Amino acid sequence: MTAAKIIMNEIKGYHRFLKFMMFLVALGALASAVRFVFGLGGTTNLNDTYPWGLWISFDVVTAVPLAAGAFTLGAIVHCFHIKKLEPLVRPAIVTGFLGYSLVGIGLLLDLGQPQRGWHTLVYWNVHSPMFEVSMCVMAYTTVLFLEFLSPVCERLGYHLPLRVLRWLEMPLVIAAAAISTLHQSSLGTFFLIAVDKLHALWYNPLLPLQFWLSAIFTGLSIIIIEATMVHRYMDQPNESELLEILTKILPWVLGVYLVVKGLSLAFLTHGPIFDRPGLLALFALEIGAGVIAPVVIFMKRKNREDDRMQLRGACLVIFGLVLNRFNVSMFGMIQPDQKIYFPSVIESLVTIGIIAAHVLFFVLIAKYFPIFEHHPETVDYTIPDGFRRTDGHEGHGKVSEA
Amino acid sequence: MTNHWIDLKNADAILAIGCNPAENHPISFKWIEQALDNGGKLISVDPRYTRTSSKSDIYAQIRPGTDIAFLGGMINFALQKNMIHQEYVREYTNATFIVNEKFDFQDGMFCAFDDQEKTYDPKAWAYATGPDGKPKRDHAMKDPNSVYQLLKKHYSRYDVDTVCSITGTKKEDYLKVAKAFCATGRPDKAGTILYAMGITQSTHGSQNVRAVAMLQMLLGNIGIAGGGVNALRGESNVQGSTDYGLLFHILPGYLKSPEFDNVNLKAYLEKWTPKTKDPKSVNWWGNTPKYTVSLLKAWYGENATKENDFCYDYLPKRMGNYSYVKVMEKMGKGEIEGLVCMGMNPAVGGPDSNSARDALGKLKWLVTADLWETETSIFWKRPGVDPKTVQTEVFMLPVASSIEKEGSISNSGRWTQWRYKAVEPVGDSRSDMHIIDEFFKRVKALYAKEKGAFPEPITKLAWNYGNGHEPDVNLVAKEINGYFTKDMTIKDKDKVLEFKAGDQVPMFKYLQDDGSTVSGCWIYCGSFTKEGNQMARRDASDPTGLGLFPKWSWCWPVNRRIIYNRASVNPAGEPFNPKRPLIAWDALEKKWKGDVPDGPWPPMKDDKEGKYPFIMLAEGHGRLYALDMKDGPFPEHYEPVESPARNLLSPVQNNPVVKLPKNVSSDAAKFPFVGTTYRVTEHWQAGAMTRNLPWLVELVPDMFVEISESLAKQKGIRHGEMVKVTTERGSIQAKALVTSRLKPLTVGGKEIEQVGMPWHFGYAGLATGDSGNVLTPTAGCANTGIPEYKAFLCNIEKGGRKA
Amino acid sequence: MSSVTTDCSKSKSFLIDTTKCTGCRGCQVACKQWNQLKGEKTEFFSGEGYQNPPSMSEYTFTRVKFKDYQKHGQNEFAFYKEMCMHCNDPACASVCPVGAFKKTAEGPVVYNADRCIGCRFCMVACPFGIPKYQWSKAFPLVKKCTGCYSRVKSGLEPACATACPTAITYGTRGELLKEAEKRIANRPDRYYKTIYGKEEAGGTSVLYLTHQPLDELGFKPVTSRSLPSYTWQALRFVPGIFLTVGGGLSLVSWFNHRKERVKREEEQRKASAETHNGTE
Ligand SMILES: Nc1nc2c(c(=O)[nH]1)N[C@H]1C(S)=C(S)[C@@H](COP(=O)(O)OP(=O)(O)OC[C@H]3O[C@@H](n4cnc5c(=O)[nH]c(N)nc54)[C@H](O)[C@@H]3O)O[C@H]1N2
Ligand SMILES: Nc1nc2c(c(=O)[nH]1)N[C@H]1C(S)=C(S)[C@@H](COP(=O)(O)OP(=O)(O)OC[C@H]3O[C@@H](n4cnc5c(=O)[nH]c(N)nc54)[C@H](O)[C@@H]3O)O[C@H]1N2
Ligand code: SF4
Ligand code: SF4
Ligand code: SF4
Ligand code: SF4
Ligand code: SF4
Ligand SMILES: [Mo]
Repeated sequence: MTAAKIIMNEIKGYHRFLKFMMFLVALGALASAVRFVFGLGGTTNLNDTYPWGLWISFDVVTAVPLAAGAFTLGAIVHCFHIKKLEPLVRPAIVTGFLGYSLVGIGLLLDLGQPQRGWHTLVYWNVHSPMFEVSMCVMAYTTVLFLEFLSPVCERLGYHLPLRVLRWLEMPLVIAAAAISTLHQSSLGTFFLIAVDKLHALWYNPLLPLQFWLSAIFTGLSIIIIEATMVHRYMDQPNESELLEILTKILPWVLGVYLVVKGLSLAFLTHGPIFDRPGLLALFALEIGAGVIAPVVIFMKRKNREDDRMQLRGACLVIFGLVLNRFNVSMFGMIQPDQKIYFPSVIESLVTIGIIAAHVLFFVLIAKYFPIFEHHPETVDYTIPDGFRRTDGHEGHGKVSEA
Repeated sequence: MTNHWIDLKNADAILAIGCNPAENHPISFKWIEQALDNGGKLISVDPRYTRTSSKSDIYAQIRPGTDIAFLGGMINFALQKNMIHQEYVREYTNATFIVNEKFDFQDGMFCAFDDQEKTYDPKAWAYATGPDGKPKRDHAMKDPNSVYQLLKKHYSRYDVDTVCSITGTKKEDYLKVAKAFCATGRPDKAGTILYAMGITQSTHGSQNVRAVAMLQMLLGNIGIAGGGVNALRGESNVQGSTDYGLLFHILPGYLKSPEFDNVNLKAYLEKWTPKTKDPKSVNWWGNTPKYTVSLLKAWYGENATKENDFCYDYLPKRMGNYSYVKVMEKMGKGEIEGLVCMGMNPAVGGPDSNSARDALGKLKWLVTADLWETETSIFWKRPGVDPKTVQTEVFMLPVASSIEKEGSISNSGRWTQWRYKAVEPVGDSRSDMHIIDEFFKRVKALYAKEKGAFPEPITKLAWNYGNGHEPDVNLVAKEINGYFTKDMTIKDKDKVLEFKAGDQVPMFKYLQDDGSTVSGCWIYCGSFTKEGNQMARRDASDPTGLGLFPKWSWCWPVNRRIIYNRASVNPAGEPFNPKRPLIAWDALEKKWKGDVPDGPWPPMKDDKEGKYPFIMLAEGHGRLYALDMKDGPFPEHYEPVESPARNLLSPVQNNPVVKLPKNVSSDAAKFPFVGTTYRVTEHWQAGAMTRNLPWLVELVPDMFVEISESLAKQKGIRHGEMVKVTTERGSIQAKALVTSRLKPLTVGGKEIEQVGMPWHFGYAGLATGDSGNVLTPTAGCANTGIPEYKAFLCNIEKGGRKA
Repeated sequence: MSSVTTDCSKSKSFLIDTTKCTGCRGCQVACKQWNQLKGEKTEFFSGEGYQNPPSMSEYTFTRVKFKDYQKHGQNEFAFYKEMCMHCNDPACASVCPVGAFKKTAEGPVVYNADRCIGCRFCMVACPFGIPKYQWSKAFPLVKKCTGCYSRVKSGLEPACATACPTAITYGTRGELLKEAEKRIANRPDRYYKTIYGKEEAGGTSVLYLTHQPLDELGFKPVTSRSLPSYTWQALRFVPGIFLTVGGGLSLVSWFNHRKERVKREEEQRKASAETHNGTE
């Protein structure tokens, strides 16, 4: 049997859902090809009024905070030493790595001159938040890649690199958190230049802080969703007990965010706030459903312990975040007399393809690499890991055995 | 222009009537803006609120074709309010002249009208002459038959209410215009009137111009800096084309083209050389023999001798009218075999273009010499025509554009600027001069070979412009200036001048009537002298500060930048306006300072040598009362041939000397709206020059018509929708531009809507569209034949061609 | 550096006096000619009056806007040329990740196509909506008014300024500001009292005088602060934040680990002590 045949057979054995995902990814790839042949103007609904559309609003501005689980959790687990959450870390890293890689791909599609992506490394402009973000994203993707290498090496049994990686783990985690803080917030800085374009409901000088805070609660929420999904659909253990810890942290972060938002709205905006009913509704929805509702949900212990409510609350947060990023990068930028933008079929196919790719690769990686198996009892302790080694009795092994 | 472009900056008031300089003469605004910066007022009188109107201090709306009423009202206003420049009027115009007793004007008609021929006998309007043979005058201007009193009487009928009810102008706007402009009737103020096609394209176009000139004379505005009667001329070198006699009724230098009864040179000169008995009158046209003979010498060279009347016999003698409209009429009847269209596109530019296009099909052959394929050159495959049915053989000669050849261009201000070739002609194109040169040489060769009935007018021509491929344009320019054919000694006052055969003539006062000088166009004598090509001068010095720039290029006559400038000083030679002296008599040096004066003679007051300022007229005085117009000595308001209103001033509806073509109709039920045509900045004329250029097509890609908001509402037409416009001649479709810049007019108490449109479109080129001229009538001005493009009746319907 | 507003009074600027603009659009065509830009396929009417094309684009660096309306029963027919404002402290330059835009000492803000990665941030950032994209291309670049830098460098005036019969004066910003103020003072009836571009976006190298109030003509109200300063007030914290977060987290984890270790050692000691005193 040739390799191709082996692969074909392997694929044949996949679940219907995966095949569907593969189909979507293929469609997305095709759409990307079309974009490069016919140009951005012909294939997207972007134009001089809407230089940025779905790809920036979703594939970049939204996808980056959605991939924030890795750094948030990394910091919580490793820096703040809440070791219980450790089993959630690897999936988060994989998600993060996939997320950022796909952000990169989305960005390359969106760039007019993707072949010149490297220019950012050479022609520095420290005044550009995008320069800052691209440097960070590149650095961070590297970090995530290195982190992601651990399960790969484990799987392949490469010990030497594993040693190096283990030794690097702490610095990587810290670097990840610092870099993420910068670029998550800098995504907000992007829009500080749009002082005359972005509506006062969203424009204020603390936008970067708000972006950072929201990236944190998004990171936490995404982990909740991911873990729940993985449990439901991939035969992985129920981690809702661990997730409860996250739901305890969430209202705090959301609360701080709400306060910052409220204060900036009250004191830092410079423009009418109530002049555009449509925008006001979007804003209310974003804050009401995406921030206040989850706070209310997670304040109740009962809800925090209920895995269904965990999922619902987290979903609300994500919904709010997505809406927020679209509000900032798209809806809030629409001037009163402008036509409304709708993404084209190609744009939508690409974005759907990217989302599908994310799901697909996650499942495939989970299938072939030990990302859920990182339980203490399976770790090869002959490889030194000064930070992680505990006595094991605190592990959740029991749970997973259950 | 009596003045010139830059001089516009000197005006205190600028009346733009029947022209739209912001759009059609954009550079003029450089100077208009300077006038405004100095406190000048811009007045725009136009049926539409144009880009010029948008820059004006006062805007007044006027119904197309009613300018005599408008200007007549202003003349009346100035006279009634005594805002005229008394001294100027008394001394420099014919206001003091007395008209013969038989002169009469009644019920809209002047005396001596021949009902059969539809012509006046202008002799009946002559001055009363005294025993000395000079016209009688009354310096008190009290004599009831003095021009002043006749004028006053004539225009007393043009009171503001009557005028506004004819023109549709709002009374308060009208008064604002009248007050502001008549305020320049003081010696220390200058007002200029700019006009163009809104004034001339009318069955009484020449009288419109006269009304302009009369108002300016009354206000003392002619001959002064910042004043004048200023025709904003059209095509870049249209001034040159008339200077060089490209119209049927003139020869180069505005000499008259011979008529059938000018049987020989003597008869011709007898008829066309004006005479005066008044020694103070210069009567410059008294030099006609010198200019005529010099012209004939230029044409027939050695062959032109005193014995053979300088080949006068070779000139065609005309009988009647050979204007464009008449030529097309004949062509339509199949009476013309061939046509050469050299830089002209009659299929779009001429009136009633459906008929014109049909007429082209009656030709045996047609030559177009153009930069582009034009509607005229492809008339045989125009929409709706089966090419097989057209027998005309069409030749297209590609021509080099203005930047691909060297030569002079005469602008509106009579400045003749020399231009050099910037790039080589594209492809196989040749300069017009080259094409004409070849034409001549080949026709001459054909005559030599085949003989002919009367070959001499061609075979005897002196034609020496070099043997090269391209004729030498400098040789042409030198011949136009003129040279001596033999050694000459000329006494000029106290100087004695020696000239050698072949020397350039320095100025036209040295031209001779005995064949010793050659000059292709006397008014250009002085443009190419011993000192070289004066037209190529580029010295930007301005010693007077008035913007005369005397050493920049050259202007006719004798580099005089403002003509009739002797009228800018009082009879003693002192400038009327000491703040803006154009010329001034230096009594010590006994000479004029400033611009080149209208003749070297001392001021008019000088008993021995003083002269009247209007040197081109036999009587030396500006004519408030004209003696040689076909349609009356005073401009009188008549309605355009197609009009929605009755003439409110007299029972005579249309200009009585204009013969109406068949396809005109004033049926208000069928054609209730006033149509008018005009230009937009973005397109040039018949469109070949601009509708082929993507950059300009981008700006105005489609044919459109402008209508008022009320008409749009009435007809249910929305902005941008297709409409169909119909006249007695035909119909076109176009997009509707609904705008408040066009408003209905209240005429005789009735509201009248207008339909305005550009005439730039046609079926050839990059951007195509229906031609405005499908709609326009062939009726033309009584004096010049220029068609009445500006006022006709039409209907408009929603829905384009289908409607 | 872009966040520091440089003194631009000596740099070349445009004074566009719309009270003198006749809407002839010579500038629009001259620009296309000089820059060899394609004529666009348009339709009548894509805007008020005779305005065309509908907007500026990769093929149209400058465009004359028409305003055709009535005010107090009087017609207003106004024209103004839109173009890059050549900001003193340009937003486009500040956001460009690869520094493709640059404010030159001469005045024009120029674009280096060889650097551009085509991210379009400049388009989002420009408060005047100036940079346009080559939407028709598979690998597009940005296009905008060059300020005719090549002409200016060789001592010529920009093509549009050269073509304009009336409205455009080209000179140093300082002089033009004075000239503009003089004009307003000389003819207060003619001029609206604000010079657009004097303060907008922290000052621009294109200054406008109008007769009509700015909002009537559709001039965009723009902040008077330089736009890059808005970004910079956040971006300048970047190194600080990096160090703070990095350092902070290092400390926290070091502290937590120490605590853990101490705790573990404590436990171990206790455990061994217990075994010592073992009661079993
Ligand atoms: N861009 C551009 N410039 C041109 C030309 C061109 O085609 N395009 N053509 C050139 C040529 S050859 C010429 S002759 C000139 C002509 O220059 P203009 O005479 O200025 O041209 P038009 O637009 O035909 O007419 C001028 C104005 O007269 C108004 N009008 C119409 N009827 C009347 C009327 O009865 N009375 C009055 N008072 N006004 C009336 C029209 O609304 C119009 O605004 O322009 C020259 N310049
Ligand atoms: N309805 C309406 N009709 C009008 C008018 C109006 O106001 N309303 N205005 C009238 C007026 S004022 C005029 S002047 C006429 C103009 O009518 P035309 O003279 O017929 O119109 P143009 O388009 O100027 O034609 C000139 C042609 O010369 C070509 N050309 C340019 N340069 C050269 C050159 O160097 N050599 C040669 N051989 N050809 C060259 C051009 O390509 C163009 O096709 O139209 C008249 N028609
Ligand atoms: S087109 Fe030529 S002639 Fe007419 S205004 Fe412009 S520069 Fe002058
Ligand atoms: S107007 Fe826009 S493109 Fe021009 S310099 Fe300013 S920010 Fe840059
Ligand atoms: S599109 Fe080009 S010029 Fe604009 S910000 Fe991006 S890299 Fe810079
Ligand atoms: S400065 Fe140059 S590029 Fe800019 S609008 Fe003017 S002509 Fe065009
Ligand atoms: S060239 Fe000058 S006058 Fe003409 S539209 Fe442009 S800015 Fe206005
Ligand atoms: Mo003309």
